[in-house]
Amino acid sequence: MPILTISRQMGSLGDEIAHEMARRLGWDLLDHTQLTSRFFAEGITERERHSLSESARFFLNVAPDGQTYIDHLERGLNQLAEEKSLILLGFGSQVIFADHDEAVHVRITAPADIRLERVKKQFNATDENASQMLDQADRRHRRFVATLFGVDSADESLYHLVLNTGFLSVTEAAETLTALLNIRKIRQEQPEQSKKPVQAANGKIHFKNKSEAEFARILDMHQIEWKYEPRTFPVEWDAEGNVTLAFSPDFYLVQFDTYLELTTMNQRYVTEKNKKLRRVRELYPGTHIKIVYKRDFQTLIERFSHIGTAGQP
Amino acid sequence: MSEGNNNAGYKIRQTLLAVQTIQNRIQELGQQITQDYAGQELVLVGVLKGSLYFMADLSRAIDQPLMLDFMTIGTIPNTTNQTGIVRITKDLDVDITGKHVLLIEDIIRTGLTTAYLVQNLKARQAASVKVCSLLVNPDQQLINVPIAYSGFEITQTWLVGYGMDIGEKGRNLPYIAEIDRNGRT
Repeated sequence: MPILTISRQMGSLGDEIAHEMARRLGWDLLDHTQLTSRFFAEGITERERHSLSESARFFLNVAPDGQTYIDHLERGLNQLAEEKSLILLGFGSQVIFADHDEAVHVRITAPADIRLERVKKQFNATDENASQMLDQADRRHRRFVATLFGVDSADESLYHLVLNTGFLSVTEAAETLTALLNIRKIRQEQPEQSKKPVQAANGKIHFKNKSEAEFARILDMHQIEWKYEPRTFPVEWDAEGNVTLAFSPDFYLVQFDTYLELTTMNQRYVTEKNKKLRRVRELYPGTHIKIVYKRDFQTLIERFSHIGTAGQP
Repeated sequence: MSEGNNNAGYKIRQTLLAVQTIQNRIQELGQQITQDYAGQELVLVGVLKGSLYFMADLSRAIDQPLMLDFMTIGTIPNTTNQTGIVRITKDLDVDITGKHVLLIEDIIRTGLTTAYLVQNLKARQAASVKVCSLLVNPDQQLINVPIAYSGFEITQTWLVGYGMDIGEKGRNLPYIAEIDRNGRT
């Protein structure tokens, strides 16, 4: 069955192009995380699963079935490719399927300054942070493919096509890829009506729940300037340098340079949030970030719903 | 002093800060403030009602001329929301323009009220606005209000005494106690 492999730089719009192609083609899109969870769904410990998401070298270890993790994954992927049309994002899949008759390999790149601007915007990051994120992602991408397959993922000879999104939009890149697939008679485009509509943002703040709206009101009545989810902090990356876990605190208090995450949820979600919060503090030193727990939030509401002196919230 | 009699509306679990412990710390704070504000025109602004006793004792531990004033913040109900609207219900009588203001709090929990008051006082062209709180609960603090002087760091949530109340009662206890939340009446 046909395969489209997409290798991309961080900030190159590679993910967006992959999703656009999946939408147009109706093919299954698999990235690093989905591949490891699909082919190692059972029989491995959480620790091993974590290592598979973090370390390229770990894939060279012997799995419980007697073959290395990478052999196990390649075998499963080849089998899947016989049954389904696939879009494979990252993971060195351009090497795994280098000689596949129906595979098209594409690399998505963009100039450094454009990637920097995109990452700054996407994660609301400073120049310095965005630059570090890009450096780290580039190093990890290249190291991952080099460790497992002994090739340089930036080597253009691995690809049918290298697309520069410094000049091409997501739509233009997708059109180009679609045209190539059509020329090679690899596919037929899905009918137009199957495409999902693009929803335009109207600029209004839509809080996720009533508690957030109420908390915003409490801040307003104290004349505390706030922004809603203004920044996303990536906190975990896979072995290829792709962000796999990020944290977007609900509120940013401008005058106090403090991020607040409101939680009115069950304890198990709170534990997860606490973990993210610790990671943000480790990875972004100097960032003031706090969780407003359910109990504290209720105390606030109680105090401000009383008539008379406000007490000391 | 009765520790939570039938009319108190609370039951004391334990004494957190004894009378002498509070007074000793206030003397230390008073000496520090005296040094820091030597020769400056100082206005202590107490936030009612919680700071009443702390304000009285601290002001007498400061060995220099100063002015005293009070503010009260109130919440008025709002029919369309759970929360009401915060208002200053008792404003300052003295003019603080060009003067050094020390905001006196009994306790800072989230820091929301303090942040509001600090912003409000700064807008009145005071020479400086700093905060002095007898108690600070860092676990509950949401806003990094700079606190120039603090008496004690605490972790307990339910407190009464030395100005702090439970349902307007217990302010006149000379010590600070932790109450049994389940024992509230």
